[in-house]
Amino acid sequence: MNSHRKNLLGGVLHDNIVLSGLMVISPVIICGDTLRNALALIYAFSAITFLAVLISSFVPKKLPYTAKIIIYALISAAVYIPVKLAAEEFYPDSIERIGIYYPLLAVNSLIVFQTEAKFFKMKKLDMMISLIFCIIGFDAVMLLTGFLRELFAYGTINSKIVDVNTLINGLSEPFGGFIFLGLMCGVYRFIRSLISKNDKQLRSEASVSDK
Amino acid sequence: MFLINDLITLLAANLILSQALGTSTIFIAAGSRKNLVGTACVITLFTTIGSAAAYCIDAALPSALSDLRLLFYTLIIGILYVLLLTAVYFAGRSYFEDFRKYIHVSAFNCAVMGTLFTINKRAAMDSSLFELGEYVSAGFEAGIGFIIAALILTAAYRKLNSSKVPSAFRGFPAMLVYLGIISMAVYSLK
Amino acid sequence: MLKKARKERLIWLDIMITLLTLELMSYFYYGIRSVALAGVCVCTAVIAEIISLRMMNRRFTADDLTCTSDAMIIALMFPAVMDYKVAVIAVLFAVIVAKNVFGGRLNMIFSPAAAAYVFVLTSWGHQLLQYTEPHVKTGIFDTPTGLVNSASHNFNMTGNVDHTDFEILLGNFSGPCGAVSILLLVVAAIVLIFRRSISAGAFIGTVCGVGFFACVTPMINSRAGSLKYSLVMNMVLFAAIYIVSDIRIAPKRNYYAFFYGLFIGVISYVLVVTAAKENAIVIVSVLFTPIALGFKNLEKRIEKAASEHNADMSEALDAVADRKEIAADE
Repeated sequence: MNSHRKNLLGGVLHDNIVLSGLMVISPVIICGDTLRNALALIYAFSAITFLAVLISSFVPKKLPYTAKIIIYALISAAVYIPVKLAAEEFYPDSIERIGIYYPLLAVNSLIVFQTEAKFFKMKKLDMMISLIFCIIGFDAVMLLTGFLRELFAYGTINSKIVDVNTLINGLSEPFGGFIFLGLMCGVYRFIRSLISKNDKQLRSEASVSDK
Repeated sequence: MFLINDLITLLAANLILSQALGTSTIFIAAGSRKNLVGTACVITLFTTIGSAAAYCIDAALPSALSDLRLLFYTLIIGILYVLLLTAVYFAGRSYFEDFRKYIHVSAFNCAVMGTLFTINKRAAMDSSLFELGEYVSAGFEAGIGFIIAALILTAAYRKLNSSKVPSAFRGFPAMLVYLGIISMAVYSLK
Repeated sequence: MLKKARKERLIWLDIMITLLTLELMSYFYYGIRSVALAGVCVCTAVIAEIISLRMMNRRFTADDLTCTSDAMIIALMFPAVMDYKVAVIAVLFAVIVAKNVFGGRLNMIFSPAAAAYVFVLTSWGHQLLQYTEPHVKTGIFDTPTGLVNSASHNFNMTGNVDHTDFEILLGNFSGPCGAVSILLLVVAAIVLIFRRSISAGAFIGTVCGVGFFACVTPMINSRAGSLKYSLVMNMVLFAAIYIVSDIRIAPKRNYYAFFYGLFIGVISYVLVVTAAKENAIVIVSVLFTPIALGFKNLEKRIEKAASEHNADMSEALDAVADRKEIAADE
């Protein structure tokens, strides 16, 4: 039961797609330098991924692997069009700021490969729950990255000036994104190993006390 | 002397170091020499031929329908994907089993799609770049840039996966930091 | 094992002694502020090293004091009036991000000082490249005034150096507080090479690379002048000793280290000539890290092949000896 729960809910903490799976990292590195960009990317990623995977789940499983991958990519490219049109209404500046990473979100490896490798092996309801939590996992990483990088690189939060003494301009650049994400991955793994150590200890203590 | 400057320009425009495109794929490529050669060759093929096809699409697509660009790019990459698999299958079945994983990994990759969009963006800003030759050479340069970045990572691969690296940072986190520092040095040359 | 550990400490001691003499010179020109900066850097490095070693479940030993030499190198590459906060962030970057994330001194990839310098260059470039004139002393907590460009910057832009050779030798010109005392640097280089505390091959390669190109494609009209100023400006000598020839980073064999240094010297010179890039050698040394690692991988493969070959030879000789014994018995 526990492993089943982990499979469903793991997308946020235990098996985060960015920090653990290292998928969809380019937008996090390049565009995750402000909270505004992060919010625009969260909207695009969440909408495109959810809709694309949902629609792709109706593709017949008996098709060859290559054909399925191409169909999934085409579906997400088609879903991208209305999502972008909606973004032009609600986030008009975002598309220009984010540039080529907006369309690249549509062909991210979560939609193209993970659907086949993970999601479509589950039941429909389990798939939806797992997918939602994976999307939440990406959103959380994107928010945290955008918040911290904007705070320390520009001294603002959502474009509002905050009193930060020393600014590190390099954090707003791609190399700053690489280093920041690398450190974040390391800290995430450290925390995850501490949690799993605690779990093992609790389990072994419980088994001893049962005796 | 100007060759060195060209090399620095190539590094500065590198897909991975300045745009973080194809970072996950490069981690696979750096794992072994076989992976490096396989992935790098396939990515270069995709970016070069893909950019030629992208030129045809950009030339034919009216600006009112620019939202359909991604759909058409995805279609041409899909066609290339199938063609390449077919070509390798008929070229040698013994190679096919080994080689197909590189094609699967490289097809709908950020590096390939990102290259097409980057070339399109540059051509939109500078009309002199809107030529088939420019598109193909830009696509080829992107492939070479991927190879250079993969070589940079391969040189440090063993050290980054060593048991001396703290377990929390061993592997991908250390690789990200390593690429970040190299990218920082390239950025400071601009 | 004990011999290697002892040797590491002696190398560290030699390097610290030379750095301390440069710091003394810096104090002479810039006053207590430069000493305070060095002190802040060293303390930060020690604290950061202790904390990160604890997190890696390792004990802080005397060998880990190499963090202090890295901190001193950083302090000597900065202007004497650098902001303390920036210096602290730079040292933290050097110790934690550029060194301990990769496993610390047991698994060095980058020169921590070079990586920290490039980090500060990209984030606080303007502050990093503004200096006080020599003999202008700033208080520990005073705001610096009358900042000027370095003599290297003026040379890169105009090809002119408004200082006599005597002033250049003694470091009486604006620039990074430790990288301008040319006479001291030359003495330090000779001492460290003879003590085998730095890579002789890498140092000679760097100097040869810069020198050769300075003669072949001179920056100014006179080839002798071009050679002289190319070596004393842009932190070339300082970086050649403490960054490029760092024994932890440079290839072990002098043959490979020479070419490693040569390429760094050549490319940094080209960058200075074509792009007027100040202190390009530090940036190039970080960029050339993969090349140094490539050479080291090659050295390991050669050593492994040599040891396997020796093992095979000794087995073959043993087999021949055994057969002779058996034949003699018969």
